[in-house]
Amino acid sequence: MASVEGSFEPRSDVRSTRYVRRAIWYLLVAAIVLWCASAPLRDANMSFYFSFMMWATLATGLNFIAGFAGYMPFGYVAFYGVGAYATGIGLKVLGLPIYVSVLLGGGVGVLLAVLFAPTLRLSGVYFAIVSLSLAIILQRVISLLPEEITGGSLGMNIGVVTDRIEGYYAMLLVLIVALLVASWLAESRLGRALKAIRDDVEAADAMGVDVGRSRLYAWMLSALFASLAGGVQAWFTGAFDTLTAFDVLVTAKTVIYAMAGGLGTVLGPVVGTIALVGIDEVIWRSFPVLNNFLLGLIITLLILFAPRGLVGTLMRLYPRLRQYVM
Amino acid sequence: MSWTSDPILEVIGLTKRFGGLVAVNAVSLEVGRGTIVGLIGINGAGKTTLMNCINGIYKSDEGGVTLDGKDLTGRTPHEIALAGVGRTFQIPRTFHRLSLIDNLMIPMLRSKQSDDELIARAERGLERVNLYELRANHGEELSGGQEKLLELARVMMLNPALVLLDEPFAGVNPTLCRLMIEQILAMRSEGTSFLLVSHDLTSIYRLSDWIYVLNQGEIIAQGGVEAVRNDPAVVEAYLGG
Amino acid sequence: MNSVLLMNGLIGGLVFGAIYALIGAGLNVIMGVLRVVNFAHGEFILIGSFMAYAMLTMLGVNPLYALPVVAVVMYVGGMLAYYVLIPGLARSDDPETSSFLLMFGVSLMIISVLTWIFEADIRPVNFSFNPINVVLFSIPDAYGPNRDGVVLIPTARLVALGINIVIIAAMTWFLYMTLPGKALRGAIMNRDAIQIVGINVHRLSAAAFGLATGLAGITGVVLTLVIPSVDPNGGADLTLFGFIVIVLGGLGHPVGALAAGVLFGIVEQLSNVVLPQAAAQMVGFIVLVAVVMLKPEGLFGKRQSR
Repeated sequence: MASVEGSFEPRSDVRSTRYVRRAIWYLLVAAIVLWCASAPLRDANMSFYFSFMMWATLATGLNFIAGFAGYMPFGYVAFYGVGAYATGIGLKVLGLPIYVSVLLGGGVGVLLAVLFAPTLRLSGVYFAIVSLSLAIILQRVISLLPEEITGGSLGMNIGVVTDRIEGYYAMLLVLIVALLVASWLAESRLGRALKAIRDDVEAADAMGVDVGRSRLYAWMLSALFASLAGGVQAWFTGAFDTLTAFDVLVTAKTVIYAMAGGLGTVLGPVVGTIALVGIDEVIWRSFPVLNNFLLGLIITLLILFAPRGLVGTLMRLYPRLRQYVM
Repeated sequence: MSWTSDPILEVIGLTKRFGGLVAVNAVSLEVGRGTIVGLIGINGAGKTTLMNCINGIYKSDEGGVTLDGKDLTGRTPHEIALAGVGRTFQIPRTFHRLSLIDNLMIPMLRSKQSDDELIARAERGLERVNLYELRANHGEELSGGQEKLLELARVMMLNPALVLLDEPFAGVNPTLCRLMIEQILAMRSEGTSFLLVSHDLTSIYRLSDWIYVLNQGEIIAQGGVEAVRNDPAVVEAYLGG
Repeated sequence: MNSVLLMNGLIGGLVFGAIYALIGAGLNVIMGVLRVVNFAHGEFILIGSFMAYAMLTMLGVNPLYALPVVAVVMYVGGMLAYYVLIPGLARSDDPETSSFLLMFGVSLMIISVLTWIFEADIRPVNFSFNPINVVLFSIPDAYGPNRDGVVLIPTARLVALGINIVIIAAMTWFLYMTLPGKALRGAIMNRDAIQIVGINVHRLSAAAFGLATGLAGITGVVLTLVIPSVDPNGGADLTLFGFIVIVLGGLGHPVGALAAGVLFGIVEQLSNVVLPQAAAQMVGFIVLVAVVMLKPEGLFGKRQSR
């Protein structure tokens, strides 16, 4: 067996770069939080800021399974939709307070993830297609459920019982939690294990990584934040149906925002959301058809020219930056 | 009737089939504690398949594998890695988008030591193979030879009792080869055992305490360096046919 | 269960099955040769349908005559698209997933363009044969004693089936009897080996993409005979059915996709007859999930040795 090493202090500047990296990141988070928290007080467009917070949460959540672990869940919207419906059912059918209902939504999302966990054994594209198909099946199943529970094709309307401003701040809270979890993951052993799985799952296995368990944790975390986002969205907007709750464009936009910034770092999805959500909102309001064209164009250009996104490409070109990016 | 009185690895009657093809046929071998055992054979003889069976990437159809008395048969690769068996790959499988330090930390994720201690150990490991300068670079930015060195340094972070080396010298320039051989010998003197697969017969003859010859999935000869070198069956398998 | 309904379902299954077989064949060529997951395949088919629709409404051209025009235009278009889109994929970390996302982006663009030109409503394709239906046979006492049932097939669907059979036969002949076709199959089996034999993989790939796109276009035109309407948002279902078929039949297995397509068509149409509508809609996806989880190499594919 190899002998025991001498002193265990790292020689390189690992510690100092760590502090700088954290400082940069947490400053950014603080800035975002302050800016969003003050929006209602500044009389700014609450819908827009809510949108930003929601997409940032979704993109961050997607990053756990797609960026860290390397699995692209093309049915990601399933968790979002389930979160919305579970929240609605909790509120209207079970009579729970809204906070509890949203947590219920989160719980149901995680449960769904555990149920679908066997699909993680599938490779790349098979996983993407099955994930998409499961989301479609789920949408159709829910639209078949009794109207008393899920509202049938008209969906659910919970706006009468919920407070919009509370919903706004609830989303902020969810975003903060998502970013904190992401920060923790980025520097944790689980995060490292996931990236090894992403890069080469067999080699990771041969180096002692418990692939199944690590992947499951990432999957559950991704599902949690998507379903919480769906629940709070239902709280804020007050109404939804199976078409809006399970719209494949939700997955598409989440993927674009996350990839535009760069999957695999915590900074990436946030940067991508900041960069694109403004453009998206402006165009969507005025030109819905053009908006989809632009979405498609952006994905295409991204994949062809900058598959690692803004942050990722910068890191590829400037190795020195890597240690400063969370 | 083994060549060693203190085996760390025992493979007994291992068989692996792919459909109608028998890739490994009732192979039995031992690796003595603190020794280097060479495994040679022409292409397609079944060497990599045998390695994959030992470290759990394939499930063998028959037979068993024991490490220091512990039965590893049918276990998953990560359980076998944690039991003390390391593995390098014929085509290097470094983690492309992880830094070299992170590459070396992956085998140590179960450790109770702090992250900083692990980083220090990883730095030490990189120094031993002259890769410390590139510690912040990603795995994909290394040359082929450097990747092989990285794999070696990485597998050592497992503190393995046994290391399976699959063609470690293939395509590596002589300087790096020398460095690898130095490290392998240093590790052997610290008690690590090796099963070494290589086409580079010079290195095999130089390093091995015992050699097995595999042909068409079966052991056709075994022995010390001189014995194997001159064994007519071996000569025929390599040159004849 | 009414036997007339059942027979109609079966025949419908054959008609749709042939269509699904064609979709699967096109997808298989792209996936097998290029390892590209063509998420926009449904939209390619829509382009074919809309071209036929446009030629009918604006030029009064019969879809049957539109067929060769669409085929050629889309073949050329496909080759151009190949050169623009595919080489860039090689640079990414995970070409397969990247191709999936890339083609998804392309599909969004195609849908927007079609919606912009033709608007989002479903438009009817007003073309019919004379006679409208062909009587196939009658089932005695189908509706009770002395009330026979008659099994019909719309002439358009019969023509569509005929065209499909011809194309499938032509494709099979091409793949198995001609040199370029065998090269294509060879590329599916072993991309690297093909290069060693001296074949220019890029040109072959471009031709393959063009072939698949042309096939999609033809499928689109034939589809207007079977379902006489065009809908810019109808592509997703087609793409997904295509995936179901190639997964069922085994990836890269041209004949497998054909058989799987027909099988799936029959299952799908029969479930429309037997099950309530919403449940029938899910049959396809449930089949996909079941096959992928239980027998990923497909009904006809070979298990990988790894």
